[in-house]
Parts: sequence; structure tokens; C-alpha cells
Amino acid sequence: MRSLLLKLGVVVVVIVVIVIGWQNRSTEPPVWTDAEIDVLRSLSLASLPALPPDPSNAVADNAQAAAFGERLFFDPRLSANGGIACSTCHQPARHFTDGLPKGQAIGTSKRNTPSIVGSAYSPWLYWDGRRDSQWAQALSPLEDPNEHGSSRLQVVAVIAGDDAYRSAYRALFGEFGDISGDDPVALNNAFANVGKAIAAFERTLLPVASRFDDYVDAVADGNRQQRESLFSDDEVWGLRLFIGEANCTQCHNGPLFTNNEFHNTGVLSSPGELPDKGRVAGVQEALADPFNCLGDHSDDPARQCAELTFVRTGPELIGAVRTPSLRNVELTAPYMHKGQAATLAEALRHYNEAPDAMIGHNEAKPLELSTRELRQVEAFLKTLTAPSVPNAI
Amino acid sequence: MIMETTAFRLFLSFVVSAFFSGAVFAHGGVVQEDDLCVIKVNYLRAHFKIYQPRVSGHEQFCEDLPAASESVFVMEYQHDALKGMPIDFRIIRDVTGKGRFARMEDIEQIDDLGSATVFYQEAVIEPNVFTVLHEFSEEGEFIGIVSATQPDTSKVYAAVFPFEVGFTGVGYWPFFIVVLLLLQLQYLVMSGRLRRWTKGRWSRAASSLLFCALLIAPAAPVSAEDGELRVSYSTPAGPPEINRIHSWILHLESADGVPLENATIEVAGGMPEHDHGLPTQPRVTKELGNGDYRLDGMRFHMRGYWEITVTVVTAEGSSVVLIPLHL
Ligand code: HEC
Ligand code: HEC
Repeated sequence: MRSLLLKLGVVVVVIVVIVIGWQNRSTEPPVWTDAEIDVLRSLSLASLPALPPDPSNAVADNAQAAAFGERLFFDPRLSANGGIACSTCHQPARHFTDGLPKGQAIGTSKRNTPSIVGSAYSPWLYWDGRRDSQWAQALSPLEDPNEHGSSRLQVVAVIAGDDAYRSAYRALFGEFGDISGDDPVALNNAFANVGKAIAAFERTLLPVASRFDDYVDAVADGNRQQRESLFSDDEVWGLRLFIGEANCTQCHNGPLFTNNEFHNTGVLSSPGELPDKGRVAGVQEALADPFNCLGDHSDDPARQCAELTFVRTGPELIGAVRTPSLRNVELTAPYMHKGQAATLAEALRHYNEAPDAMIGHNEAKPLELSTRELRQVEAFLKTLTAPSVPNAI
Repeated sequence: MIMETTAFRLFLSFVVSAFFSGAVFAHGGVVQEDDLCVIKVNYLRAHFKIYQPRVSGHEQFCEDLPAASESVFVMEYQHDALKGMPIDFRIIRDVTGKGRFARMEDIEQIDDLGSATVFYQEAVIEPNVFTVLHEFSEEGEFIGIVSATQPDTSKVYAAVFPFEVGFTGVGYWPFFIVVLLLLQLQYLVMSGRLRRWTKGRWSRAASSLLFCALLIAPAAPVSAEDGELRVSYSTPAGPPEINRIHSWILHLESADGVPLENATIEVAGGMPEHDHGLPTQPRVTKELGNGDYRLDGMRFHMRGYWEITVTVVTAEGSSVVLIPLHL
């Protein structure tokens, strides 16, 4: 009896050793094909095109406007209780996120706080794309009762009442006009200008190169030694899965690792809430927004608003949210539109299962990756972390 | 994971039909059709499902719910009329004493509907998908009542569906497990999941072969034709890139090279392999003469194989030309 147990024990130990050995077997990293190198290049920051112009904002690329906007971004006086600034939730040290499932200020925001780095490249802002420019977006938190909780009247009054702000404003936009509230057009104009200055600042927040970008350079240069010193085997395999079998670049593509388009990936609803309708609702809001590209406050006389003009809706957009950038994703937990996934591992497990969506249709297919492969993808995602924050202040 | 409820329903409907005959839900209710749970509000149908995300994650239920917990009821319309109809949703404790066989008549006889009501969502028009959330505070028997009002005639259609929260009948669970296992097995065989596991590998190999074939194929064709009609395009701002909105110039001519003027053109597109369309709704905004038309609002959001369909209508008739595109 004893010896039988012993034998059994030995067998078990051998099996365990084999399994562990198999899981951690070292495998030579793949040699990249030309087609793959092409894909790698398309993901590198070196491929980031110039900022798309924003003709609806005349001061979009004005340095004075950016400096003014930067001060507004960090100024809590624009809030109802004097304690909330944009930077309360978009904290530079956390790559302009807040580490919470949902934004937290005067109340709780509807969704998770995204990073705003590189958002100038997106034709649509917010998870559901309910705004079509950075400047139109910047006006919403100011009047959102859960965020700044302020009003356009108060915001404009703060600016008109501060010497430095007043002169910065006048130099950029001219006189305020009647901002007492009696003339809604003048007030709305001044309010829109506040958004335009903040947007000018946000346009300067561009992603910083990460180890991944250096790796792509080394691969493109055919520098084997540098390539191997930059990426571990697991990271290489993870990258290969990311652009290959796991299909991540279907949506997380381009140098920002996002197509800025809307997709339903079947993420579970947040506790106590209905599943988020996402883009189907957001598109209607964007079309109805008085500050949109076609509205009275756009600076573009030609109203070239291709995205808004040729926007599309349909049942595929039920429960669809905008693909988030994956740059610095290691440091922007929790994940998904309501912070449903606490860790990267959890987010990846979700993709591996790709369950049916609660509403609409999950576009992602189950991956059936092994735990080892999931770890490799995670290891790769961590190579997207930049050594510093843009414009560290 | 609708399986368990499916099994439960199948079993139940088997038992029920063995003892009773005739329609149970004469006025509409929730029924299991194939693998789909359907709510019938008179002749209007919607895909119906309930989730208990806190305790069962993505698992779908058709009627009975395992726990007194946060429950999300979802109706995905199969009939467009529902998109424009005010719909209200009520859940009451089962005070009819009819249990599973409660019908609209029984509801109408309840004196104090208000005090039996545990949840009420006032009528709303929800054009996309109807959802409500109720957190059950206790187990028991309940009845759901969905009514939709026809805006033109003010006619009210209702569906009634009795359900249980916190399954009873636990004493029979070993029996259920056997039934479940059999059904699961049958499901695996019938749905081809078993085969798919092995086949997936083949189709992946096949699609990468196709991919290679496309790579070797000559550069993206800029012209395609449908019998009499030839369509070509050019992109003035350089070759199409992903994630950038841009314009095309379409050129239309007959097979013998005569430019086609005054055509009405519609453009759609998508990725057949991914089962989705273009992210924008491009339109022809200008006829430029000589068979040229300006097409605005083109954007692609993924690399890969795209198909653009150009539907051309002229006085003579219409034709559809498919432009394949590899990005
Ligand atoms: C209470 C926290 C909070 C405050 C304060 C706040 N935001 Fe946000 N921000 C969020 C949340 C949450 C979202 C996403 C909301 C959504 O998609 O529905 C967001 C989204 C954004 C986005 C869109 C990013 C993208 O990629 O879609 C930008 C840009 C932005 N905020 C800028 C600002 C500016 C400018 C201010 C100050 C005027 C500000 N935010 C104040 C929480 C906050
Ligand atoms: C069909 C498009 C699509 C595909 C394919 C896809 N994603 Fe995503 N990804 C999204 C969308 C949309 C979200 C946001 C989902 C949400 O919040 O509900 C997201 C969110 C994420 C997040 C959370 C980021 C954050 O800041 O919240 C990570 C991490 C992520 N994806 C990684 C991946 C990886 C790794 C793959 C490949 C295995 C992948 N994605 C494939 C569209 C996609």
C-alpha cells in the first residue's frame, strides 16, 4: 500500500514537473516577415502623421492659447465648489487618468476617465463619441453636475474677473461682449472660446516613445543585438500574438493603438447600471450638440465637417464604445468604459472568452489562448509604457 | 450559456404539454424557439433575455432566475414597429394563484395592481434596444407584463410571462444534471462545436493561404465592372490609409468607354471577413462631368480585405459593381 502511494506520488510529481516545464519552455522568438515588419512600422510612433488640423478652432495651434488653456485645465476656480479642475480626474502623473473605475468629483461620472493624450487625433471624443472636437468636449465637464458642476455664466465670469485671464482672453478672442447672461449668443461665444483655449493645450499632449517604438526601430534597422536587448522572448511572442492570431490590431491599430472607431466587445454592465447603449446614443448627441462642427460657434466658414456629415448609425453600434489607446495601458487601470476590469490580466481573460454581449453583438471572437500566451500578450502591452508623461508639469 | 435554461424550458414544456394541451400564452408571452428566447407582444416579436451580471456574469436566462439579485431584462426587437412604440414594463408578485399559467385576464382581475407591483418602468420609446434593471429583494414567483402601445391607433398589446426567482425543485437536481449532460452532448454534436474545434485550425490555414494569394495578386485593382458598366476610382489625397477620412473620384463608363453622366450612385462597403460595414456613410456629393463623380466621407478603420459596392442607377436601369480593396 505504502509503495503504491509512493509510486502514485512520483507519477504526480513527474506530471507536475512536465506541465510546469512545458508552460515555461523557452522557445526561440519568431523571425519577422516583411509583411509583419510593415505592420510593426505602422504601429510605431515614427508613423504618427502630423496633427490633423481643426479648422473649427481658429486658435487650435496658437501657443498663447495653449498656455492659457493649460492654466484653465489646472484651475479649480472654474468649478462650483472651487475644488475641481480638469486635472482632478485627468492627472498628469497617471497619464491623465485617475485610477478609479469612474471619474469622481462633485459626484460620480458616468464612465471611466480616459487619458487625453493623443485625443487630438480622434474625430470623436468620449467613449460614446458624443462630441466631435476637443473644444466642444471641454465645455461638457464644466457644466456636468457630477464633474465641475459649474455654469457657463460662472466660468466666463471667473475669466473676466481675473486680470491675467482677461488679458489672455482679449489678446486671443477680442472683447467679451455682454456676458451678463442677457445676451445668450455673446455668452455662448465666450464659453466656446474657453473650450478652444483648453483644446489648444490638449493638442500639445502627444504620446512619448516607449520601449516598443525603440524595438521597432531596431527591427527595421536589422539590428539584432539591440533588438534582443530591448525585448524579452515573451514580449516578442506577445507582440506576434497581438498583431497575428489574437487579432488585436483589427481595432487597436495605428501608432496610437486605436482606430478611434466604435466597437461592441461584450463587456459586462457595471454594478447597479443598465448596459451602456454606447455609440447609438452618442451619435445622436453629437448631431444635436450646439457646439458641434456644423454649429454657430465653429470658426470654419466652409464648415468642412466630413466626419459629422458622413456619420453613420445602425444596430452594429448598439453597445459599441470607442477603442481606447493602449499606450501606457499598464499605468491606466482600471480598464474598460466603466472600469469593469481591474487588471490587464482580467481584460485579456475577457477577450479570451469573448462572451455574447448583453446588448448588441460582440465583434470579438473567442481567442482560446493558453495562460502562457495571455501572459505574453500582457508582457507585450507593458512595453507600451513611456518613460515620461508628455509636458510633465 | 443559455443551455441550462434551455434545458429547463425544454423539460418544462415537455412536462406541460404532456398534461395540458392548447396554447398557454394566447395573448403573448415568452417562448423558447430553437435556441432563442422570444417575447411575443401580440404579433410583435423581440429577442428576450435576462442577465444576473453580479452572480452569473454573461449567462443568459429566458424566464426563471436563479437568485434574488440585480437582474437586467433585455428586449432586442425582431419587429421594426416596436422601435417607435412606447413600451412599459411591470413586474408583480404572483398574486393570481395561477403560477405558470397566469394570463392577461388574470392580471386584469387584480384589484390592487399597484401594491403587487415590485417594479414599474413607465412607457418609453426606445429605438434601439429596450432594457430595464430590477434588483429582486426576495425569491418567489413573479409575473412580468410588457405592454406596447400602437401610436396611431392607441391599441395596447401586452405580453405576460410568469417566472420564478430562486429556482425551487432542488430535490430533483441529480435528475436535471443527467438531462443537462445529455442535452449538452447533443448540443455539442448538433451545433458542430466539437467539429469546429478541429476545423478552426483548417480554416485558419485556409484564410492565411487566401491572404497570401491576395498579397501576390496584382496591386489593388482600381477598376471593376458589371457587364455594361465599368467603374474606376482614384484618390486625390494619395493612396487610402486607415483611420483617415478622405475622398474618392469615381469614374463611370460603359464597356465601350463612353462616360456615364447623370447617374445616381450609392456606395456601401465593409469587410466580409469581419462582418461589419464602413465606419462612415459616404455619399457622392458632386458630379464633376466626363463620367467623374466626387465621393466624400470614405474612411477605413482596419487593415485587411474590404469590398466597396457601387450601385449605379440611370434612366436605363441599375447595376451593382463590387470593388475589392486590400489595405
Ligand atoms: C470628474 C472627473 C472629470 C473631470 C473633472 C473632467 N473629466 Fe474629462 N473625462 C472624465 C470622464 C469620466 C470621461 C469619459 C466620459 C465618457 O466617455 O462618457 C472624460 C473624457 C474626457 C475627454 C475625452 C477623451 C477621449 O479620448 O474620448 C477629454 C478630452 C476630457 N475628458 C477633457 C477634460 C477637460 C478639458 C476637463 C476640464 C474642463 C475635464 N475633462 C474634466 C472625467 C473627468
Ligand atoms: C473589435 C475591436 C477590438 C478588438 C479586436 C480588440 N479590442 Fe481591445 N478594446 C476595444 C474596445 C472597443 C475597448 C473598450 C471596451 C469597453 O470599454 O467596453 C477595448 C479595450 C481594451 C483594453 C482596455 C483599455 C482601457 O484603457 O480601458 C485593453 C487592455 C485591450 N482592449 C486590449 C486588447 C487586446 C490585447 C486585444 C487582442 C487580444 C484587443 N484589445 C482586441 C476594441 C477591440
